[in-house]
Amino acid sequence: MAAEQDTIIHIEALTKTYQIGDEKLEVLKDINLQILKAKFVILAGPSGSGKTTLLNIICGIDRPTTGKILVNDLDLTKQDEDALSDFRCSQVGFVFQSYNLVSTLTVAENVAFPMEWKRKPEDEIEQRVNELLQTVGLQQRANHFPAQLSGGEQQRVAFARALANDPPIVLADEPTGNLDLKNAQKIVQVLQFLKSKGKTVIVSTHDLEIRQLADQVFCLEEGRLATSNE
Amino acid sequence: MSSANFPANDLLRRRLQTSLTIVTLTLSVASTLFLLLFSSRLGVGISTTTGTLTQGLSAIFSQFILFIGVLIFAVGTVLTSFIVFLMMAQRTRDFGLIKAAGCPNNLVAGYFMTELLTVTAVGCVLGIVFGFLADLVSASLVFSAYTPPNFWFAILVFIVFFILALGFGVQPILKAARMPPIKALSPVNYYGLTSTTKHKAMSRSGLTWRLATRSLFRRQSTSIRIVILLSIVFILLTVSIAGGIIASGTTTSWIQKPFGDNSIVVAYDSMGNQYEHLLSKFSGPKETGVFQYSDPSLAIPNSVIERLNSLSSVDLVDSRLVVDGTVQEVSNFTVNPDTLETIPVGDSREGNSIVIGVDPSQLAGAWSIEGRFLGGDGTLEAVIGDSISHTMYAPNPSRRVVLSNPLVQSIRFQNNTFPIVGICVDPINNGYVTYVKLKTLENITGISNSNLLLVKLNPTTDRNSAIGEIRNTIQAVNSDLDVFDLSMIIDKNTSFLSSTWQTVMLLPLFTLISAALSLVGYMMLAVDEQHQEFAVLRAVGAKPRIIPAVSAIQSAIVLVSSFVVGICLGVIITLLILMANPLVTSFTVVEIAAWLVAALLGMFVLSLYPAYRMAKTSILKIMT
Repeated sequence: MAAEQDTIIHIEALTKTYQIGDEKLEVLKDINLQILKAKFVILAGPSGSGKTTLLNIICGIDRPTTGKILVNDLDLTKQDEDALSDFRCSQVGFVFQSYNLVSTLTVAENVAFPMEWKRKPEDEIEQRVNELLQTVGLQQRANHFPAQLSGGEQQRVAFARALANDPPIVLADEPTGNLDLKNAQKIVQVLQFLKSKGKTVIVSTHDLEIRQLADQVFCLEEGRLATSNE
Repeated sequence: MSSANFPANDLLRRRLQTSLTIVTLTLSVASTLFLLLFSSRLGVGISTTTGTLTQGLSAIFSQFILFIGVLIFAVGTVLTSFIVFLMMAQRTRDFGLIKAAGCPNNLVAGYFMTELLTVTAVGCVLGIVFGFLADLVSASLVFSAYTPPNFWFAILVFIVFFILALGFGVQPILKAARMPPIKALSPVNYYGLTSTTKHKAMSRSGLTWRLATRSLFRRQSTSIRIVILLSIVFILLTVSIAGGIIASGTTTSWIQKPFGDNSIVVAYDSMGNQYEHLLSKFSGPKETGVFQYSDPSLAIPNSVIERLNSLSSVDLVDSRLVVDGTVQEVSNFTVNPDTLETIPVGDSREGNSIVIGVDPSQLAGAWSIEGRFLGGDGTLEAVIGDSISHTMYAPNPSRRVVLSNPLVQSIRFQNNTFPIVGICVDPINNGYVTYVKLKTLENITGISNSNLLLVKLNPTTDRNSAIGEIRNTIQAVNSDLDVFDLSMIIDKNTSFLSSTWQTVMLLPLFTLISAALSLVGYMMLAVDEQHQEFAVLRAVGAKPRIIPAVSAIQSAIVLVSSFVVGICLGVIITLLILMANPLVTSFTVVEIAAWLVAALLGMFVLSLYPAYRMAKTSILKIMT
């Protein structure tokens, strides 16, 4: 009973199929899993096993073909686009492998814009931006554009943006995949910080250093949940 | 896939962009060809080809169409360069990718040249076909008899636009071919982006506004091109819509005024019918045969005039003596103020004219006139119609007539020389008319009575009962006299003029469609360039409507800046160059404003289509 109350993500009989021409590509097959609040979860598995698709579905970017997914008791399969937008804005923070910052906005603006949609007061936004940039060690780069940053710096900005609205869940898709060792270590520090703050963190990664932080590891193979290690 | 099939498959894969480019090129070519064909039928020397309109009005049409022609050609060239630029700008990244994969420079350049040639050839051929179709439709609507079009225009337009499109298209291909793959793959090159300027860390302006404006200014070269293109389009629209509406209203008043408001004609049957024939020449050629104007039996007894003047339903009786004959140009001399050299003005050309004697103090109508109407002290003075002015008094290098100006020359009729004091627009006999004083003409011809009365009715009386009363009055004197209500002929003439103007207005409509399509093309480029950012914004929580919102701001900035420039220049051109003494009422201004705003709103709505399309696409699809 207590475990059920602590469950933040509940996935049941979830499948995802893509139609490519006349062919059907089944990327996720009968996924059933539960993730508890404040846990650091690793999604492992070889490339093409469906890790990114599962993350996309959890954060409401993509929809499952069949099955059920509840995040914080919200059934994502029954939400319209606007409701999913609100969900992504306040319930989850997503970090892409390829950073995906808005090139026309400065670092500070990139961190600030999810808060602008929540119509927070400007002073509060500025204070939060400074706080987050300090957390990721980029306060000196606030007025730079993404093109003027290194890959590692861009990824740290992406983490700061993901935390802007203080979401309970943070998702990261191969956050160190494009980074060298030194920059990867800085990302690990950020992830450690998130864990210490009690966030539910789900990371898809092959990075062994990040794996050491895991409370729970789910391994995907050819779209199926192969193992689950606590 | 064989390499030979790559260009065709590539064009088919990018179906929307390909068809948009082809449609825009087609419209550009079609509108230009249509203009040339239409102007050859109507604008240039319409009086000689169809026998309709006066030479003065024909000249106004020619000037108007020539001006629109220059603008349409300018729009066509900017549009063509813009379309091929857009096409190649969208392909620079593909260029880089193919080169990065190891494809030799000449082969990849060959692929894109083939694509360019295919699109240009299809666009130009379709443009020629649609140009001819538009000409066929307009010719059958405006002219009663269809004559084959001038096929040389098609060849000229095809060659010019084909070369133009290739010229503008080859440049970006060659530039991309010389570019290292890494550069071609960079957004700085494939979107023509310029480096960003310094901004504050946090701007206070709204996020949507920031995203829209920064992205717009980052694509400076494309944005400037589209603003130039749309400015020319709005100049064209202002000139054609405002000029067309003003010119239509003004010229219509010109052909209504000489007959006067609420007037009828009183004459013997044959004379009345002949006068109808003379008026109807304006809207359709009609053979009138030989008519004996000087026939004594056409003379209207003075008692008729006296009786008419006594009627309360009659405001004024304008007695006229209408005759015809040969008129001769009388040359003059002028002195060059610098050299004091004597310069001959005009020649001694001959022509036929209706000569109408009028009493300047008893006129039912009025004229749009250059100079003045009769009424000076001299008995020998004349006002000539605009067709005589444009034919007999026009400079003619083949006859070594370098300088010609009717207002310093004279006209000779039956051995009497009349100094010309004015040039009027008059639909009677298609402007081949000469007005002299009634008494003078009576003395010259020896005819002592008028043969036609223009009777202006009292506006307070019922028109039908007034006509009945007048008919009874004149037939009491002579039963062969009759009343002729020429309002139907006047209406026919004004309708003909209006329909001619309406056909001319098809030209800016063609160009407006072309420009709207090119704006959609530009917005597609803008949306495409921002697709990754839109996807990120949506992934992080933005609602789908942010995409149309950003697009709407960008489109509004581009459209409004072009609109302001275009309208300002267009109004100046319309009022200062196209039309002397324009008739502008408050209704005219509202009508023009309504048309222009409708065009602006139409373009704005259409430009949002690519953004709405993307807003309905899933985030993952936008990202990939």
